[in-house]
Amino acid sequence: MTSVSRTGQREDVPFVARSTETGARVEASSANEVIAFYRRQQELLDTDLEWEFADHPAVTEAPDADSIDAVLRALDDYFESGVPLGVLAAAMSKQGWTVGDTLSEVYELRMSGSLWEPRADHLRPV
Amino acid sequence: MTRWNANNDEVAAVSPDITDETNALPAEYFTSPDIHELEKEKIFGQYWVYAGHANAITETGAYFTRTIGDKQVIIVRDHDDEIRAFFNVCAHRGSKMVEDTPMTNPGNMGRIRCPYHMWSYDLDGDLESTPKSFEEAGLNPDLDDEEVCSLDASENGLNEVQTDRIGPFVFLNFADDPMPLAEQAGTLKTELEDMPLEEYEHAARYVSEVDCNWKTFAGNYSECDHCHANHQDWITDIELDESNLEVNDYHWILHYTHDEDVDDELRIHEEKEAKFYYFWPNFTVNMYGTADGYGTYIIDPIDEGRFQLIADYYFSSAEMTDAEQEFVQTSRQLQEEDFELVERQYEGLQSGALAQAQLGPNEHTVHKLHRLAQEAYEA
Repeated sequence: MTSVSRTGQREDVPFVARSTETGARVEASSANEVIAFYRRQQELLDTDLEWEFADHPAVTEAPDADSIDAVLRALDDYFESGVPLGVLAAAMSKQGWTVGDTLSEVYELRMSGSLWEPRADHLRPV
Repeated sequence: MTRWNANNDEVAAVSPDITDETNALPAEYFTSPDIHELEKEKIFGQYWVYAGHANAITETGAYFTRTIGDKQVIIVRDHDDEIRAFFNVCAHRGSKMVEDTPMTNPGNMGRIRCPYHMWSYDLDGDLESTPKSFEEAGLNPDLDDEEVCSLDASENGLNEVQTDRIGPFVFLNFADDPMPLAEQAGTLKTELEDMPLEEYEHAARYVSEVDCNWKTFAGNYSECDHCHANHQDWITDIELDESNLEVNDYHWILHYTHDEDVDDELRIHEEKEAKFYYFWPNFTVNMYGTADGYGTYIIDPIDEGRFQLIADYYFSSAEMTDAEQEFVQTSRQLQEEDFELVERQYEGLQSGALAQAQLGPNEHTVHKLHRLAQEAYEA
Protein backbone atom coordinates (compact mmCIF):
# COMPACT_ATOMS: atom_id res chain seq x y z
CA MET A 1 0.00 0.00 0.00
CA THR A 2 1.21 3.50 -0.70
CA SER A 3 0.28 6.16 1.77
CA VAL A 4 1.31 9.69 2.55
CA SER A 5 3.09 10.30 5.81
CA ARG A 6 2.84 13.48 7.85
CA THR A 7 6.00 14.73 6.21
CA GLY A 8 4.40 14.44 2.81
CA GLN A 9 6.67 11.64 1.60
CA ARG A 10 5.03 8.70 -0.06
CA GLU A 11 5.93 5.48 1.65
CA ASP A 12 5.03 1.83 1.48
CA VAL A 13 3.47 0.42 4.62
CA PRO A 14 2.11 -3.12 4.66
CA PHE A 15 -0.07 -2.82 7.77
CA VAL A 16 -2.54 -0.05 8.57
CA ALA A 17 -5.18 0.11 11.31
CA ARG A 18 -7.38 2.82 12.77
CA SER A 19 -8.86 3.50 16.20
CA THR A 20 -12.61 2.93 16.30
CA GLU A 21 -13.03 5.79 18.78
CA THR A 22 -10.65 8.52 17.77
CA GLY A 23 -9.63 7.66 14.23
CA ALA A 24 -5.94 7.58 15.26
CA ARG A 25 -4.14 5.66 12.55
CA VAL A 26 -1.12 3.40 12.74
CA GLU A 27 1.00 2.53 9.74
CA ALA A 28 3.41 -0.28 10.51
CA SER A 29 6.07 -2.34 8.83
CA SER A 30 5.12 -5.44 10.83
CA ALA A 31 1.72 -6.69 11.93
CA ASN A 32 2.87 -7.04 15.53
CA GLU A 33 3.69 -3.30 15.63
CA VAL A 34 -0.04 -2.76 15.26
CA ILE A 35 -0.58 -4.97 18.32
CA ALA A 36 1.97 -2.90 20.27
CA PHE A 37 0.17 0.28 19.19
CA TYR A 38 -3.16 -1.22 20.29
CA ARG A 39 -1.75 -1.97 23.74
CA ARG A 40 -0.30 1.53 24.16
CA GLN A 41 -3.66 3.01 23.18
CA GLN A 42 -5.45 0.70 25.61
CA GLU A 43 -3.37 2.06 28.48
CA LEU A 44 -4.74 5.52 27.81
CA LEU A 45 -8.09 5.10 26.11
CA ASP A 46 -10.94 2.65 26.02
CA THR A 47 -10.60 2.13 22.30
CA ASP A 48 -10.25 -0.66 19.75
CA LEU A 49 -8.55 -0.90 16.36
CA GLU A 50 -10.01 -1.82 13.00
CA TRP A 51 -7.74 -2.98 10.21
CA GLU A 52 -7.65 -0.84 7.10
CA PHE A 53 -5.07 -2.77 5.21
CA ALA A 54 -2.74 -5.77 5.58
CA ASP A 55 -0.43 -6.58 2.70
CA HIS A 56 0.79 -10.09 3.49
CA PRO A 57 0.24 -13.25 1.42
CA ALA A 58 -0.82 -15.21 4.48
CA VAL A 59 -3.60 -12.72 5.16
CA THR A 60 -4.68 -12.71 1.53
CA GLU A 61 -4.84 -16.49 1.45
CA ALA A 62 -6.42 -16.93 4.89
CA PRO A 63 -9.76 -18.77 4.77
CA ASP A 64 -12.99 -16.87 5.28
CA ALA A 65 -13.71 -18.65 8.54
CA ASP A 66 -15.24 -17.19 11.69
CA SER A 67 -12.94 -19.34 13.80
CA ILE A 68 -9.53 -18.48 15.21
CA ASP A 69 -8.63 -22.16 15.24
CA ALA A 70 -9.37 -22.68 11.53
CA VAL A 71 -7.58 -19.50 10.47
CA LEU A 72 -4.58 -20.20 12.69
CA ARG A 73 -4.19 -23.71 11.24
CA ALA A 74 -4.22 -22.28 7.72
CA LEU A 75 -1.71 -19.55 8.58
CA ASP A 76 0.58 -21.95 10.39
CA ASP A 77 1.95 -23.22 7.06
CA TYR A 78 3.43 -19.79 6.35
CA PHE A 79 5.46 -19.41 9.54
CA GLU A 80 8.05 -21.80 10.98
CA SER A 81 8.12 -20.44 14.50
CA GLY A 82 4.60 -19.28 15.11
CA VAL A 83 2.05 -17.00 13.45
CA PRO A 84 2.55 -13.37 14.46
CA LEU A 85 -0.41 -12.30 16.54
CA GLY A 86 -0.86 -9.25 14.32
CA VAL A 87 -1.08 -11.38 11.16
CA LEU A 88 -3.75 -13.53 12.80
CA ALA A 89 -5.65 -10.39 13.85
CA ALA A 90 -5.40 -8.99 10.32
CA ALA A 91 -6.71 -12.26 8.89
CA MET A 92 -9.62 -12.28 11.33
CA SER A 93 -10.54 -8.76 10.22
CA LYS A 94 -11.87 -10.36 7.02
CA GLN A 95 -14.71 -11.54 9.26
CA GLY A 96 -15.13 -8.07 10.75
CA TRP A 97 -13.16 -8.77 13.89
CA THR A 98 -11.36 -5.86 15.55
CA VAL A 99 -7.91 -6.23 17.07
CA GLY A 100 -9.54 -6.31 20.49
CA ASP A 101 -11.93 -9.07 19.40
CA THR A 102 -9.04 -11.25 18.25
CA LEU A 103 -6.86 -10.63 21.31
CA SER A 104 -9.74 -11.41 23.65
CA GLU A 105 -10.55 -14.68 21.89
CA VAL A 106 -6.87 -15.65 21.67
CA TYR A 107 -6.57 -15.16 25.43
CA GLU A 108 -9.55 -17.43 26.06
CA LEU A 109 -8.15 -20.10 23.74
CA ARG A 110 -4.69 -19.92 25.34
CA MET A 111 -6.19 -20.23 28.80
CA SER A 112 -8.11 -23.32 27.69
CA GLY A 113 -5.04 -24.91 26.11
CA SER A 114 -6.47 -24.73 22.61
CA LEU A 115 -3.48 -22.92 21.17
CA TRP A 116 0.02 -22.19 22.37
CA GLU A 117 2.49 -19.34 22.25
CA PRO A 118 6.00 -20.65 21.44
CA ARG A 119 7.36 -17.11 21.84
CA ALA A 120 5.83 -13.78 22.76
CA ASP A 121 3.02 -12.73 20.42
CA HIS A 122 3.48 -15.72 18.10
CA LEU A 123 0.92 -18.51 18.04
CA ARG A 124 0.65 -22.10 16.91
CA PRO A 125 -2.29 -24.50 16.93
CA VAL A 126 -2.21 -27.40 19.39
CA MET B 1 28.71 29.63 13.09
CA THR B 2 26.55 26.60 12.54
CA ARG B 3 27.97 23.45 14.07
CA TRP B 4 27.71 20.83 11.38
CA ASN B 5 29.03 17.38 12.05
CA ALA B 6 30.72 17.41 8.64
CA ASN B 7 32.96 20.25 9.78
CA ASN B 8 33.97 18.29 12.86
CA ASP B 9 32.85 21.13 15.05
CA GLU B 10 32.80 20.35 18.71
CA VAL B 11 29.53 20.66 20.56
CA ALA B 12 29.30 22.32 23.94
CA ALA B 13 26.98 22.34 26.92
CA VAL B 14 23.96 24.61 26.69
CA SER B 15 25.24 28.07 27.49
CA PRO B 16 23.28 30.02 30.13
CA ASP B 17 23.59 33.00 27.78
CA ILE B 18 21.05 32.73 24.98
CA THR B 19 23.18 35.01 22.79
CA ASP B 20 25.97 32.43 22.73
CA GLU B 21 26.24 30.08 19.75
CA THR B 22 25.98 26.99 21.92
CA ASN B 23 22.58 27.84 23.37
CA ALA B 24 20.86 24.53 22.50
CA LEU B 25 21.20 20.88 23.46
CA PRO B 26 23.46 18.97 21.07
CA ALA B 27 21.50 16.94 18.55
CA GLU B 28 22.52 13.57 19.98
CA TYR B 29 20.47 14.34 23.10
CA PHE B 30 17.40 13.98 20.90
CA THR B 31 18.41 10.82 19.04
CA SER B 32 20.40 8.66 21.44
CA PRO B 33 18.78 5.57 23.01
CA ASP B 34 21.19 5.98 25.94
CA ILE B 35 19.81 9.46 26.64
CA HIS B 36 16.27 8.07 26.55
CA GLU B 37 17.26 5.55 29.24
CA LEU B 38 19.04 8.26 31.24
CA GLU B 39 15.94 10.46 31.16
CA LYS B 40 13.84 7.76 32.83
CA GLU B 41 15.98 8.16 35.93
CA LYS B 42 17.26 11.72 35.76
CA ILE B 43 14.09 13.46 34.59
CA PHE B 44 11.00 11.30 34.98
CA GLY B 45 12.40 9.67 38.13
CA GLN B 46 13.26 12.97 39.85
CA TYR B 47 10.71 15.67 39.02
CA TRP B 48 6.96 15.86 39.67
CA VAL B 49 5.17 14.27 36.74
CA TYR B 50 1.48 14.63 35.95
CA ALA B 51 -0.60 11.51 36.63
CA GLY B 52 -4.16 12.54 35.87
CA HIS B 53 -7.23 14.50 36.88
CA ALA B 54 -8.82 14.11 40.32
CA ASN B 55 -12.33 14.39 38.86
CA ALA B 56 -11.82 11.03 37.17
CA ILE B 57 -11.87 9.25 40.54
CA THR B 58 -14.41 10.90 42.82
CA GLU B 59 -15.71 7.74 44.58
CA THR B 60 -13.89 5.74 47.23
CA GLY B 61 -12.01 2.92 45.52
CA ALA B 62 -12.07 4.55 42.09
CA TYR B 63 -8.73 4.20 40.35
CA PHE B 64 -6.78 4.47 37.13
CA THR B 65 -3.28 3.42 36.17
CA ARG B 66 -0.42 5.38 34.67
CA THR B 67 2.91 4.25 33.22
CA ILE B 68 5.84 6.66 33.48
CA GLY B 69 9.03 5.32 31.95
CA ASP B 70 9.17 1.73 33.14
CA LYS B 71 7.18 2.41 36.29
CA GLN B 72 3.54 1.34 36.49
CA VAL B 73 1.41 3.06 39.10
CA ILE B 74 -2.12 2.71 40.50
CA ILE B 75 -3.76 6.04 41.42
CA VAL B 76 -6.70 5.44 43.79
CA ARG B 77 -9.04 7.38 46.06
CA ASP B 78 -8.87 5.90 49.57
CA HIS B 79 -11.44 5.69 52.37
CA ASP B 80 -10.33 9.09 53.72
CA ASP B 81 -11.06 10.73 50.34
CA GLU B 82 -7.34 11.14 49.71
CA ILE B 83 -5.78 10.29 46.37
CA ARG B 84 -2.85 7.93 46.79
CA ALA B 85 -0.54 6.17 44.41
CA PHE B 86 1.20 2.81 44.62
CA PHE B 87 3.51 0.89 42.37
CA ASN B 88 1.37 -1.68 40.58
CA VAL B 89 3.56 -4.39 42.06
CA CYS B 90 2.64 -6.97 44.69
CA ALA B 91 4.75 -7.06 47.86
CA HIS B 92 4.78 -10.84 47.75
CA ARG B 93 6.70 -11.72 44.60
CA GLY B 94 6.49 -8.64 42.44
CA SER B 95 3.57 -9.48 40.20
CA LYS B 96 1.75 -6.73 38.36
CA MET B 97 -1.62 -6.60 40.11
CA VAL B 98 -4.12 -4.39 38.31
CA GLU B 99 -4.81 -4.36 34.57
CA ASP B 100 -4.01 -1.16 32.70
CA THR B 101 -6.95 1.16 33.34
CA PRO B 102 -7.10 4.53 31.59
CA MET B 103 -8.19 7.69 33.38
CA THR B 104 -10.96 8.02 30.81
CA ASN B 105 -12.49 4.71 31.88
CA PRO B 106 -11.55 4.31 35.55
CA GLY B 107 -12.20 1.21 37.60
CA ASN B 108 -13.44 0.77 41.15
CA MET B 109 -12.26 -1.67 43.78
CA GLY B 110 -12.88 -2.23 47.46
CA ARG B 111 -9.34 -3.45 47.93
CA ILE B 112 -6.25 -3.95 45.79
CA ARG B 113 -5.82 -7.64 45.13
CA CYS B 114 -3.00 -9.45 43.38
CA PRO B 115 -4.48 -12.22 41.20
CA TYR B 116 -1.33 -14.36 41.47
CA HIS B 117 -1.55 -15.59 45.10
CA MET B 118 -4.49 -13.42 46.22
CA TRP B 119 -2.64 -11.09 48.57
CA SER B 120 -5.02 -8.20 49.30
CA TYR B 121 -4.28 -4.63 50.32
CA ASP B 122 -6.40 -1.86 51.81
CA LEU B 123 -6.80 1.29 49.76
CA ASP B 124 -4.16 2.86 52.02
CA GLY B 125 -1.71 0.20 50.85
CA ASP B 126 -1.55 -1.87 54.05
CA LEU B 127 -1.59 -5.61 53.66
CA GLU B 128 -5.12 -6.70 54.48
CA SER B 129 -5.07 -10.45 54.06
CA THR B 130 -3.22 -13.39 52.64
CA PRO B 131 -4.60 -16.86 51.92
CA LYS B 132 -4.34 -19.48 54.65
CA SER B 133 -1.43 -21.07 52.80
CA PHE B 134 0.72 -18.15 53.96
CA GLU B 135 -0.21 -18.71 57.63
CA GLU B 136 0.32 -22.46 57.77
CA ALA B 137 3.10 -24.68 56.49
CA GLY B 138 1.01 -27.71 55.59
CA LEU B 139 2.97 -28.48 52.41
CA ASN B 140 6.40 -28.06 54.02
CA PRO B 141 7.40 -31.11 56.09
CA ASP B 142 10.40 -29.22 57.52
CA LEU B 143 8.33 -26.47 59.12
CA ASP B 144 5.69 -26.46 61.85
CA ASP B 145 2.75 -24.06 61.64
CA GLU B 146 3.91 -22.37 64.86
CA GLU B 147 7.19 -21.43 63.18
CA VAL B 148 5.43 -19.44 60.49
CA CYS B 149 5.87 -15.71 61.11
CA SER B 150 2.77 -13.60 60.76
CA LEU B 151 3.01 -10.75 58.29
CA ASP B 152 2.79 -7.24 59.71
CA ALA B 153 0.14 -5.32 57.76
CA SER B 154 1.92 -2.01 57.48
CA GLU B 155 5.43 -3.37 56.98
CA ASN B 156 4.31 -5.60 54.14
CA GLY B 157 2.16 -3.09 52.39
CA LEU B 158 2.43 -1.69 48.89
CA ASN B 159 5.22 0.61 47.79
CA GLU B 160 3.66 4.05 47.89
CA VAL B 161 4.54 6.78 45.40
CA GLN B 162 4.49 10.37 46.58
CA THR B 163 1.55 12.37 45.30
CA ASP B 164 0.58 16.01 45.49
CA ARG B 165 -1.86 18.21 43.66
CA ILE B 166 -2.27 21.52 41.94
CA GLY B 167 -6.02 21.99 42.05
CA PRO B 168 -7.47 18.88 40.38
CA PHE B 169 -4.17 17.93 38.73
CA VAL B 170 -2.54 14.95 40.47
CA PHE B 171 1.24 14.64 40.27
CA LEU B 172 3.63 11.82 41.16
CA ASN B 173 7.23 11.84 42.24
CA PHE B 174 9.51 8.79 42.42
CA ALA B 175 12.51 10.45 44.07
CA ASP B 176 13.47 9.58 47.66
CA ASP B 177 13.64 13.18 48.78
CA PRO B 178 12.12 15.38 46.10
CA MET B 179 11.72 19.12 46.18
CA PRO B 180 8.12 19.93 47.15
CA LEU B 181 5.67 20.24 44.27
CA ALA B 182 4.95 23.79 45.40
CA GLU B 183 8.62 24.64 44.93
CA GLN B 184 8.83 23.04 41.48
CA ALA B 185 5.60 24.73 40.42
CA GLY B 186 6.34 28.14 41.93
CA THR B 187 3.75 30.75 40.97
CA LEU B 188 2.11 28.25 38.61
CA LYS B 189 0.47 26.56 41.59
CA THR B 190 -1.26 29.63 42.95
CA GLU B 191 -2.14 30.88 39.49
CA LEU B 192 -3.84 27.63 38.50
CA GLU B 193 -5.47 27.16 41.89
CA ASP B 194 -7.05 30.60 41.61
CA MET B 195 -9.12 29.24 38.73
CA PRO B 196 -12.09 26.88 39.21
CA LEU B 197 -10.50 24.08 37.23
CA GLU B 198 -12.14 21.35 39.31
CA GLU B 199 -15.57 22.55 38.16
CA TYR B 200 -14.94 21.32 34.64
CA GLU B 201 -15.52 17.80 33.38
CA HIS B 202 -13.42 15.65 31.13
CA ALA B 203 -15.01 15.72 27.68
CA ALA B 204 -12.52 14.28 25.20
CA ARG B 205 -9.13 12.62 24.94
CA TYR B 206 -6.97 12.22 21.85
CA VAL B 207 -3.81 10.14 21.92
CA SER B 208 -1.40 10.58 19.04
CA GLU B 209 1.88 8.76 18.47
CA VAL B 210 4.40 11.02 16.80
CA ASP B 211 7.73 10.09 15.24
CA CYS B 212 10.09 12.40 17.07
CA ASN B 213 11.75 12.84 20.43
CA TRP B 214 9.46 14.24 23.12
CA LYS B 215 11.72 17.28 23.61
CA THR B 216 11.38 18.13 19.93
CA PHE B 217 7.63 18.57 20.38
CA ALA B 218 8.12 20.28 23.75
CA GLY B 219 10.35 22.85 22.09
CA ASN B 220 7.86 23.40 19.30
CA TYR B 221 5.03 23.94 21.81
CA SER B 222 7.15 26.47 23.69
CA GLU B 223 7.75 28.99 20.92
CA CYS B 224 5.70 30.74 18.29
CA ASP B 225 8.31 31.87 15.80
CA HIS B 226 6.94 29.13 13.58
CA CYS B 227 3.32 30.27 13.89
CA HIS B 228 3.09 32.81 11.07
CA ALA B 229 4.30 30.32 8.52
CA ASN B 230 2.60 27.24 9.81
CA HIS B 231 -0.53 28.07 11.83
CA GLN B 232 -2.05 30.56 9.47
CA ASP B 233 -5.68 29.91 10.46
CA TRP B 234 -4.98 30.30 14.17
CA ILE B 235 -2.60 33.22 13.95
CA THR B 236 -5.15 35.45 12.22
CA ASP B 237 -6.81 36.12 15.60
CA ILE B 238 -3.57 36.68 17.53
CA GLU B 239 -1.50 39.83 17.92
CA LEU B 240 1.95 38.33 18.19
CA ASP B 241 3.62 41.72 18.55
CA GLU B 242 1.70 42.25 21.79
CA SER B 243 2.29 38.74 23.06
CA ASN B 244 5.16 37.56 25.23
CA LEU B 245 6.73 34.42 26.56
CA GLU B 246 7.39 34.43 30.30
CA VAL B 247 10.04 32.11 31.75
CA ASN B 248 10.13 30.90 35.36
CA ASP B 249 12.22 28.30 37.21
CA TYR B 250 10.40 25.16 36.07
CA HIS B 251 7.57 26.52 33.98
CA TRP B 252 6.98 29.03 31.26
CA ILE B 253 3.86 30.80 30.12
CA LEU B 254 3.01 31.77 26.56
CA HIS B 255 0.79 34.85 26.60
CA TYR B 256 -0.92 35.26 23.26
CA THR B 257 -3.01 38.40 22.89
CA HIS B 258 -6.21 38.17 20.89
CA ASP B 259 -6.72 40.91 18.33
CA GLU B 260 -10.32 41.40 19.44
CA ASP B 261 -11.97 41.14 22.85
CA VAL B 262 -13.51 37.79 23.56
CA ASP B 263 -16.65 37.40 25.66
CA ASP B 264 -15.87 36.93 29.33
CA GLU B 265 -18.00 33.78 29.29
CA LEU B 266 -15.45 32.24 26.95
CA ARG B 267 -12.56 32.54 29.37
CA ILE B 268 -11.74 31.02 32.73
CA HIS B 269 -8.85 33.35 33.54
CA GLU B 270 -8.94 37.12 33.93
CA GLU B 271 -6.59 38.22 31.21
CA LYS B 272 -7.98 38.71 27.70
CA GLU B 273 -5.46 36.40 26.12
CA ALA B 274 -4.66 32.77 25.53
CA LYS B 275 -2.32 31.38 28.20
CA PHE B 276 -0.39 28.23 27.55
CA TYR B 277 1.51 26.90 30.55
CA TYR B 278 4.39 24.48 30.11
CA PHE B 279 5.34 22.71 33.35
CA TRP B 280 8.65 20.85 33.27
CA PRO B 281 9.14 18.13 32.33
CA ASN B 282 6.19 17.16 30.13
CA PHE B 283 2.85 18.69 31.13
CA THR B 284 0.96 21.64 29.71
CA VAL B 285 -2.22 23.46 30.66
CA ASN B 286 -3.87 25.20 27.76
CA MET B 287 -6.13 28.13 28.62
CA TYR B 288 -7.34 29.00 25.17
CA GLY B 289 -9.12 32.18 26.05
CA THR B 290 -11.78 31.46 23.46
CA ALA B 291 -13.60 28.60 25.15
CA ASP B 292 -15.29 28.03 28.48
CA GLY B 293 -12.94 25.17 29.19
CA TYR B 294 -9.30 24.17 29.08
CA GLY B 295 -7.00 21.49 27.81
CA THR B 296 -3.96 19.60 29.01
CA TYR B 297 -1.17 17.83 27.18
CA ILE B 298 1.03 15.04 28.44
CA ILE B 299 4.11 14.60 26.26
CA ASP B 300 5.11 11.03 27.09
CA PRO B 301 8.19 9.49 25.52
CA ILE B 302 7.87 5.99 24.04
CA ASP B 303 11.51 5.78 23.02
CA GLU B 304 14.12 8.24 21.80
CA GLY B 305 12.33 8.66 18.47
CA ARG B 306 8.65 8.52 19.40
CA PHE B 307 6.29 10.07 21.91
CA GLN B 308 2.59 10.02 22.73
CA LEU B 309 0.71 13.28 22.93
CA ILE B 310 -2.18 12.74 25.33
CA ALA B 311 -4.54 15.65 24.75
CA ASP B 312 -7.43 16.05 27.21
CA TYR B 313 -10.24 18.61 26.98
CA TYR B 314 -12.39 19.84 29.87
CA PHE B 315 -15.68 21.72 29.55
CA SER B 316 -18.60 22.49 31.83
CA SER B 317 -20.22 19.26 30.75
CA ALA B 318 -18.78 15.99 29.48
CA GLU B 319 -21.21 16.29 26.58
CA MET B 320 -19.69 18.88 24.31
CA THR B 321 -21.77 21.49 22.52
CA ASP B 322 -21.40 21.93 18.78
CA ALA B 323 -19.26 24.99 19.39
CA GLU B 324 -17.01 23.05 21.76
CA GLN B 325 -16.64 20.23 19.26
CA GLU B 326 -15.67 22.76 16.64
CA PHE B 327 -13.20 24.25 19.10
CA VAL B 328 -11.61 20.84 19.70
CA GLN B 329 -11.38 20.31 15.96
CA THR B 330 -9.44 23.56 15.63
CA SER B 331 -7.14 22.45 18.42
CA ARG B 332 -6.63 19.11 16.66
CA GLN B 333 -5.76 20.99 13.47
CA LEU B 334 -3.02 22.84 15.36
CA GLN B 335 -1.71 19.55 16.72
CA GLU B 336 -1.56 17.95 13.30
CA GLU B 337 0.22 21.00 11.87
CA ASP B 338 2.73 20.77 14.70
CA PHE B 339 3.18 17.01 14.26
CA GLU B 340 4.16 17.58 10.67
CA LEU B 341 6.69 20.21 11.70
CA VAL B 342 8.32 18.22 14.48
CA GLU B 343 8.54 15.04 12.41
CA ARG B 344 10.28 17.01 9.67
CA GLN B 345 12.67 18.50 12.22
CA TYR B 346 13.38 15.09 13.67
CA GLU B 347 14.10 13.57 10.27
CA GLY B 348 16.73 16.26 9.85
CA LEU B 349 18.21 15.69 13.30
CA GLN B 350 18.37 11.94 12.73
CA SER B 351 20.41 12.41 9.57
CA GLY B 352 23.35 13.33 11.76
CA ALA B 353 24.25 16.39 9.70
CA LEU B 354 23.73 18.90 12.47
CA ALA B 355 25.78 18.63 15.64
CA GLN B 356 24.17 21.42 17.63
CA ALA B 357 21.26 23.70 16.80
CA GLN B 358 21.09 27.44 17.49
CA LEU B 359 18.17 29.15 19.18
CA GLY B 360 16.90 32.60 18.32
CA PRO B 361 16.32 35.41 20.82
CA ASN B 362 12.58 34.71 21.03
CA GLU B 363 13.14 31.02 21.68
CA HIS B 364 14.11 31.71 25.30
CA THR B 365 11.43 29.24 26.45
CA VAL B 366 13.10 26.51 24.38
CA HIS B 367 16.42 27.60 25.87
CA LYS B 368 14.94 27.04 29.33
CA LEU B 369 13.71 23.59 28.30
CA HIS B 370 17.17 22.66 27.07
CA ARG B 371 18.86 24.09 30.16
CA LEU B 372 16.58 22.10 32.46
CA ALA B 373 17.28 18.92 30.52
CA GLN B 374 20.99 19.48 30.75
CA GLU B 375 20.80 20.23 34.47
CA ALA B 376 18.89 16.99 34.95
CA TYR B 377 21.44 14.94 33.00
CA GLU B 378 24.28 16.40 35.06
CA ALA B 379 22.55 16.03 38.43
